[in-house]
Amino acid sequence: MSSHNESILREPLMTGKDITYAKITDDILLPVENKPNKAWWIGFIVALCGAMLWVVSVGYTFWTGIGAWGLNKTVGWAWDITDFVWWVGIGHAGTLISAVLLLFRQNWRNSINRSAEAMTIFAVICAATYVVAHMGRPWLAYWIFPLPNQFGSLWVNFNSPLVWDAFAISTYFTVSLVFWYCGLLPDIASVRDRATGLKQKIYGVLSFGWSGSVKTWQRFEIVSLILAGISTPLVLSVHTIVSMDFATSVIPGWHTTIFPPYFVAGAIFSGFAMVQTLLLILRKVLNFENYITMFHIESMNKIIMTTGSIVGIAYLTELFIAWYSGSEYEMYAFENRIAGPYAWAYWAMMTCNVISPQLFWFKKIRTSITISWVLSIVVNIGMWFERFVIIVTSLHRDYLPSSWAMFYPTWVDVGIFVGSIGLFFTLFLLFIRFLPSIAIAEVKLLLKSSSLQHKTKLVQEGAFPEDQVEYFRKSLEKYDSVSEEDIKALHKK
Amino acid sequence: MDSNKKYWKGLEELNQTPAFVEKSKGEFAESVPVEDVLNEAGLSTRTPRRDFLKALGFGLGAVTLAACNRTPVHKAMPYVIKPEEITPGIPNFYASSFKGQSILVRTREGRPISVEPNPNSVGLNQGIDAVAVTSVLDLYDMSKLQNPQIGGKDVQWSKLDNTVIGALDKAAAAGKQITIVSTTVNSPSTLASIARFAAKYPATNHVQVDPISYSGLIEANKNSFGKAVVPTYNFENAQVVVSVAADFLGSWLEGEEQTQDYTKNRDYKSLKGGKMSRHIQFESGLSLTGANADVRIAIRPSEEGAVLISLYNAITGQSIAGGTINAKAKTAIALVAKELVNAKGAAVVVAGANDVYIQSLVNAINTQLGAYGAIIDLDNYSKQYQGSDVAFQKFLTDAKAGQVGVAFFLNSNPAYNYFKAEDVKAAIAKIDFTVSLSDRDDETAILTKAIAPVPTYLESWGDGSSKEGLVTIVQPTINPVFDTRQPEKSFLVWSGDSATDIYDFVKENWEANILAGTGKTWKDVLQTGYIYKGSNTGSAYSANVDVNAVAAAIVNDAKKVTADVELKLYESTVMRDGRYANNAYLQELPDPVSKVTWDNYAAINPIFAEQLGLGENSKVKIEANGYAIELPVLLQPGQTMGTVSVALGYGRTNVGKAGNNVGQNAYPFLTLVNGTLQFASKATVSKLSETYELAQTQTHNTIEGRNIIRETTFAKYLKDPNSESGRFADSHKTYDLWNKFDQPGHKWVMAIDLNACTGCGSCIVACNVENNIPVVGRDEVRRRREMHWLRIDRYYTIIEDGKDYTKEKEIKHLKDFEDVTVVNQPMLCQHCDHAPCETVCPVLATVHSSEGLNHMAYNRCFGTRYCANNCPYKVRRFNWFNYWNDSRFDNYLNNEFTHLLLNPDVTSRSRGVMEKCSMCIQRIQAGKLKAKMEDRKLKDGDVQMACQAACSANAIIFGDANDPESEVSKAIRNERVYYVLEEINVQPNIGYMTKVRNTFEA
Repeated sequence: MSSHNESILREPLMTGKDITYAKITDDILLPVENKPNKAWWIGFIVALCGAMLWVVSVGYTFWTGIGAWGLNKTVGWAWDITDFVWWVGIGHAGTLISAVLLLFRQNWRNSINRSAEAMTIFAVICAATYVVAHMGRPWLAYWIFPLPNQFGSLWVNFNSPLVWDAFAISTYFTVSLVFWYCGLLPDIASVRDRATGLKQKIYGVLSFGWSGSVKTWQRFEIVSLILAGISTPLVLSVHTIVSMDFATSVIPGWHTTIFPPYFVAGAIFSGFAMVQTLLLILRKVLNFENYITMFHIESMNKIIMTTGSIVGIAYLTELFIAWYSGSEYEMYAFENRIAGPYAWAYWAMMTCNVISPQLFWFKKIRTSITISWVLSIVVNIGMWFERFVIIVTSLHRDYLPSSWAMFYPTWVDVGIFVGSIGLFFTLFLLFIRFLPSIAIAEVKLLLKSSSLQHKTKLVQEGAFPEDQVEYFRKSLEKYDSVSEEDIKALHKK
Repeated sequence: MDSNKKYWKGLEELNQTPAFVEKSKGEFAESVPVEDVLNEAGLSTRTPRRDFLKALGFGLGAVTLAACNRTPVHKAMPYVIKPEEITPGIPNFYASSFKGQSILVRTREGRPISVEPNPNSVGLNQGIDAVAVTSVLDLYDMSKLQNPQIGGKDVQWSKLDNTVIGALDKAAAAGKQITIVSTTVNSPSTLASIARFAAKYPATNHVQVDPISYSGLIEANKNSFGKAVVPTYNFENAQVVVSVAADFLGSWLEGEEQTQDYTKNRDYKSLKGGKMSRHIQFESGLSLTGANADVRIAIRPSEEGAVLISLYNAITGQSIAGGTINAKAKTAIALVAKELVNAKGAAVVVAGANDVYIQSLVNAINTQLGAYGAIIDLDNYSKQYQGSDVAFQKFLTDAKAGQVGVAFFLNSNPAYNYFKAEDVKAAIAKIDFTVSLSDRDDETAILTKAIAPVPTYLESWGDGSSKEGLVTIVQPTINPVFDTRQPEKSFLVWSGDSATDIYDFVKENWEANILAGTGKTWKDVLQTGYIYKGSNTGSAYSANVDVNAVAAAIVNDAKKVTADVELKLYESTVMRDGRYANNAYLQELPDPVSKVTWDNYAAINPIFAEQLGLGENSKVKIEANGYAIELPVLLQPGQTMGTVSVALGYGRTNVGKAGNNVGQNAYPFLTLVNGTLQFASKATVSKLSETYELAQTQTHNTIEGRNIIRETTFAKYLKDPNSESGRFADSHKTYDLWNKFDQPGHKWVMAIDLNACTGCGSCIVACNVENNIPVVGRDEVRRRREMHWLRIDRYYTIIEDGKDYTKEKEIKHLKDFEDVTVVNQPMLCQHCDHAPCETVCPVLATVHSSEGLNHMAYNRCFGTRYCANNCPYKVRRFNWFNYWNDSRFDNYLNNEFTHLLLNPDVTSRSRGVMEKCSMCIQRIQAGKLKAKMEDRKLKDGDVQMACQAACSANAIIFGDANDPESEVSKAIRNERVYYVLEEINVQPNIGYMTKVRNTFEA
């Protein structure tokens, strides 16, 4: 790894002075090895309250029936499936970062993949709860799987996208979990090695007897690559299949061939936005500024901008095709989105998803932590509205005007959604408390190649021509974790 | 040999030590400290651990043993001696009649579960109205009285009888009147029992009064022809029909029978023969009849007379003063008068007003048109409405003067439905003894001293006579469920004859008075259900009317109604006069025009509402004749500007838990003019600040220019029967993703004639009763969750300046909502051959049968609702809650007694599963089984859908498309047939026939 020196034109992926392998471990394990601070407790209690709201709302639904929601004879899915698709979409960033970026040797993924993958898993858990909760008879949810008849259920309908969904989601969850956990093994071993007593025992079991031998590391690398290979198609398949829940139907506004790519782009879009939301807080609260740098933030903003534009083009394509199709039902469905009773939702979606990410064309904006954070939330609001628009505005006015109806959510609908966010954050906060939220082993790889410290050393050794060093100096100006002194130190000694 | 061996337990015994001797005195070797334990100190000591464990062990053992008792087993008891006529699982049908209409009652294992028309009857025989369909629920109504009552306390019948007879004797001794107040009684046996009673008490006076009065019509006929009767109208003989505010397909006289006759000139068979009647309607509120008219002109209630004067003038060429000044009406009258005159002998004019003068003028017009005889039959006259407003007025006056000793209220509830309820209350207070013969403690019964509860017709012996010459039998299908007694029996008992059995009484009355000379026996009648002695058509009559005087009176009376806001009161097609308000099925049956359930409302033209500052969900206060009610507003296209229509029959306070306080009572708005009740008056309307959301099953009213409804005009149809049906698309090539499957046996399909369907809704309730469809209540309907498997979509087309508008964004800008046309489209599962619901169900809970049906396996469904989302027709219904067993939806079904109503052939669905039209699969199966048992092929007509059986317009045709000779095969080959949304290639199996309007040629 250290056999070659990275170009000085590349921005550093790690900043800070006097960083050693030990310091990296110390820094990252700080929240795991110490008592949580006040901020964690406040966050945890708020999130737990949300999770309790989820328990109450879902419990009430199970007790009384789906009638507790605002659905009706015309709108059979609304907040439930909106929330489901929203969470599945959010889950996408994790796999993309951990698998696709690994295959493309994007080393900047090393410091964000762990929490992004954790986010994926928790988001998929939240999504999976809706799969069960939206059923009229959730106690029979296992019927979705093709179990042998002796088990009491019958064979399933492989024509139904919901069956594909069950496979897609469960595969995705399993692979993500395995990938995430494999990546965790060396880091759990680090925790184990530094811990004492019961804690050592628990982490000992969890580390699966990681020995740190060369053979172990070699196998680890191979497994990571294999899993990345398995996961990569999943990035495309999961949301493609989710989109087919709609695309294979006959309902105008759902029956659209553009859905698979459009959904995947939207999923990556919302996933990166959620990663951004979480990491901006994480790096501040846990002092990870040196590991999650402005370069990471800017890169993610660029992805958000790109996928946001793809999504925007998809929206415009949909409108064009609706007009071009000449189908009056299709045309009406889109007319109704733009100017019907739910036009406010459509325009909220358009503003949040298409207009707001375009702001990232400005370097000032994409390197501003505050604006990035606000926009990341705006994007996810927009993505929620996208699914709401697709589901509710298509259903509420379909073919026969006699059945046209409005959908109004009840407190239970709202409670389950807000509650699922609480559930998500409860899990995420527990994660940063008990597991290293940055991949220690992988970050260490960057120390002797892509860190500012290393590059400074090379500059001082005179390894690069001055014009390149000047370019490098300029690129460091946006870093909030790089001081004037650090830049001044970039001179040949 | 005796043994003298001795055994010792120990040396102590052998040696008889003092200690041993001492010990052996007691029962136990060691002393038991019983005294110590049972004294006070002992009892208060702490229980030692070992004792506690012992007690625990014993307790546990004892309880376990006790619990080994077998749990009680509820056995379904088979018949010990099985009644000969009952085969479990096979229904029995009994001929009976409801309101004089011959029907068949279907019973299963001794309980009536549904009512169907008697196909062999005279009069209405191919359908049944919503009230009759749902009447079976009234049998299982828990709100009815279960015992006779005196002063609100349950008593024995003997006590009640003694009290009543005592009061009768007292009244007779005092020379006071004895009055029986009833709604119209046309039952010969009831009349006979009243006659017996009157023989015992000669002071008896029988007053008949109907809440919806036809006194004006009766009086007019008395003046014009000397016959004080309501005639029978045979619309099948009318090619031109003009109706001025008569809802003759709905609530006016015999709506369902008139629908049957009327559609015979308009349905696909008639069109095939190149014939279609023309129907012109003048009215203020949009009625069911107006919705079906070829031309409809909106007029004010005060203009009804003027329109008829103009019409008279136009027909006769006279120029009597007082004609209408309404331009639209004038144009229409000029055109229609020509039509009427041309169609002399096959033209008729009817008017809804309960006014002697207006009806006299109509008689004069009909005489000119030669309508008497073939169309208007005064010989075989109707006996449904014989009430006299004048007679009831006299009763009230007499009662208030203290001249009435005893009054009986037989199925009569004037405290609710008489416009001056205060007068009724004051009168009842002055009567010495009052008895209510009703099935519940209604508004009048709670005022009376005694209640003699009556059973429903399903528990009674009796008869009815809806028109002269037709007598129908009522035979019980179950023993009286509660401690009730038929009024006929009560009158017999009170006249001193407690021995005669009601069965014998009815039978003897039939044999002596009805069957005599007909050659028929009592048994024949029990089988056929009716006997008809009348003629086929009536004879011609000529009205003797002084038209000038009548017109002058009409003009004069109209002034009393003319105002900025005119209020029109009408009998709702669904709730009728309010008698059946506790019937949850009826309450949830949407009004055919407004689609409102569970309420009455103020129907106001949208533009007029805008002028008054009203909108959706507004509430208004309506004041008229010193009475005021607050009602939600319904924006009703077609309603005349400056008018408000309010339905009667709502606002019951003592009818039962489903019907109490539903809507507002509008009866007090009625007025008495010229001795007859009037249903229109001046009014003021003021906006209230609060809002109220009506529970409507349809809230979007137009087709948005879509071709789901295809309509044409009769003229175009005559030129090309394919007109507007889109059948030129037959050559259109369709492509298929799916494998084709053979359907070798049956292929069940349906054809629905949009020209025949009037939208009355009896199919909806028939489907509810047949398929155990739950009633969900007002709140759930508001949330758009009604469970109806079959609905009738009603679409308006708004006409402004001769152009049709159906798109929301265009309609927004219109300034005139008086001219509308209406289409009704029954919508149910289309049983698509490429059903989009089937492919998306993850668990194959909905699948296709080889007979072309889309099946629903309830117990396989786990409720993802994907099928409902993917249904282009939105006909799937989800069980959001356990409607049949949840106290929040306690409209009627949440008790074991009412569960007996459920059709045992149809599974009742639990929470969380999807349901939809099954094409009455249970009926198909029963038909197939019957054919198999009889070792023959299934014939066309063997299987009838519940909706089809209830349809008096014959708008629903069902059958096997694989049988080329079946009626449905012929029907779906009709040029007019199209399939809704056929362009999305779901291949629906229900064909619709284009709507044809016989409009004036432009």
